[in-house]
Amino acid sequence: MISGAEAVVRAMADHGVETLFGYPGGAIMPVYDALYDSPVEHLLCRHEQGAGFAAVGFARASGRVGVCLATSGPGATNLITALADAMMDSVPVVAITGQVPRAAMGTDAFQEIDLLGMSLSCTKHSFLVTDPAELCDTLHRAFALAAEGRPGPVLVDIPKDVQLAQLDYVPPFRAVAEAANDTFELERAHALLRAAKKPLLYAGGGVGMADAVSQLREFIQITGMPSVTTLKGIGSVAPGTPGHLGMLGMHGTKAANLAVQQCDLLVVVGARFDDRVTGKLDTFAPHAKVIHLDIDPAEIDKLRVAMLSYCGDLRRVLPEMAIPLHVESWREQCDASAQQTAPSYEHAGPLIYAPALLNQLSQRLPERAIVSCDVGQHQMWVAQHMTFASPADHLSSAGLGTMGFGLPVAIGAQIARPEHMSVLVSGDGSFMMNVQELTTIKRARLPVKIVILDNQRLGMVKQWQELFFEQRYSETNLSDNPDFVTMASAFDIPGRQIWRKDQIQDAMQEMLSSEGPYLLHVSISEQENVWPLVPPGAANDQMMEPQA
Amino acid sequence: MTQHTLFIEMNPTADVLERILRITRHRGFTVANMQMSCASAMQVTVTSERPIALLTRQLDKLYDVQQCRLAPALERAVAARA
Repeated sequence: MISGAEAVVRAMADHGVETLFGYPGGAIMPVYDALYDSPVEHLLCRHEQGAGFAAVGFARASGRVGVCLATSGPGATNLITALADAMMDSVPVVAITGQVPRAAMGTDAFQEIDLLGMSLSCTKHSFLVTDPAELCDTLHRAFALAAEGRPGPVLVDIPKDVQLAQLDYVPPFRAVAEAANDTFELERAHALLRAAKKPLLYAGGGVGMADAVSQLREFIQITGMPSVTTLKGIGSVAPGTPGHLGMLGMHGTKAANLAVQQCDLLVVVGARFDDRVTGKLDTFAPHAKVIHLDIDPAEIDKLRVAMLSYCGDLRRVLPEMAIPLHVESWREQCDASAQQTAPSYEHAGPLIYAPALLNQLSQRLPERAIVSCDVGQHQMWVAQHMTFASPADHLSSAGLGTMGFGLPVAIGAQIARPEHMSVLVSGDGSFMMNVQELTTIKRARLPVKIVILDNQRLGMVKQWQELFFEQRYSETNLSDNPDFVTMASAFDIPGRQIWRKDQIQDAMQEMLSSEGPYLLHVSISEQENVWPLVPPGAANDQMMEPQA
Repeated sequence: MTQHTLFIEMNPTADVLERILRITRHRGFTVANMQMSCASAMQVTVTSERPIALLTRQLDKLYDVQQCRLAPALERAVAARA
């Protein structure tokens, strides 16, 4: 017999967990005690939200389940934002939380919160273990459930007395995958593809989650179809692929959005017609028939009715669907449009132009560097001006849009892939939201490179105030930011501040050649905005562009 | 507003009813009538302007929901209309 807490640690080891992220507290102390001399590594983060996001970063960079651990009450509520983010972006995470002892539950005990109730809307499923005999089975189910089908976060809430109870450990069962209901009218799909004059591929985050990047690339190569991706789909199409037009949607490329509006067949792969993608929904891709491929049946016909759909393994269906198409002139038209509307990195004056800096950074990063970012203008600039070889190299909070995401995610990504450089591109607003995780970098001696694009503003909100709220800049001035380089030095992280173009070369070299962590504080003008922009309520071909 | 009756079979867990009702509300449906004679089955009538498949597909995804289908009479009516 072993204790419930020991069973938790053993189950993690049996599921291949090498490192988990967490923060101790009263109701989870038995598990921390079991971790003390366990081979499973635990990385102490300095806030449970940081631990949750580190697990997200680990999972997104590696494709494996990320694990986080917290105590009851405030520890558990602090995890909620990270779980919600993982839910929106379909990230496999298992969160284990301590709960007050069973006898104290429902009495408003110290650090008691009904976490099961709180978890309903932000997890794929959640378990409250009320019987020690069910603990092992529940943990194994949680790991399986987080990763299977459409991945997502799963919570296991364990009362302290269950952690202390003696039980017989039951090893993981071998899950038998249920036969998916994945019939597909292949002939009809081929007919639709052949009949289309302007077919377009719209690839989302599901491609990477399904490990179907190579199948998608072969599909594109065989069909010759032009392609666009969502924010989470970036990296699934190889940069430079003929007909690839980049990201679509609110801050997508003009060429991508125009192609969507013109296409007569939209092949949607692992994507969900998010409102940031479609703009005004009833004007999105108005001439297109839709073939929708996704693992989640609930996404089919949710926002756009599909003429043909498939729910199942993309790795199976994409090769079956791939047939050569005669779409050269359409692809060439798309490529020409992309060329005509490509962003210019010409920029007058001595001050740093963030899109140009990020484009330069992208070219200088070592192969397979992982770039995490936060949320706001810098996030869109990363998506627009950097290129990625894999969706697992671009970690961006797409669905929930969580400021504070980047730093802990970059930490989790570095733990998952120590052989690759982990780079955080953040903004001065977002960076402060989980800044305590600088200590985690120091503690684990992680060589994370941090680039802060600092316009002393809550830039994206300020941009909307400028464009849509009559330039009434309510609470978006952050000119009282701390001195970021001095702050980093308090965590033994070296760095420097730059503000002129002629400083970029040296500073970037210093950062990329440094062996440990580094913080590059880039001061930029508050005047720069993200372009193009599809304003709220508009169709995607009604893009706003900067005034000349 | 359209009204639909769903027959749901589920695992008799302590939280399954809460999950079903939360999804029903969040996805834009209002409960007009609900009957449970045992902990593993329920019949619920909902109203909404949204297509009922938006709800049934979400309910089908719940870990503890075994099956969710439109009540037979309505299934026939839907089939007849189609």
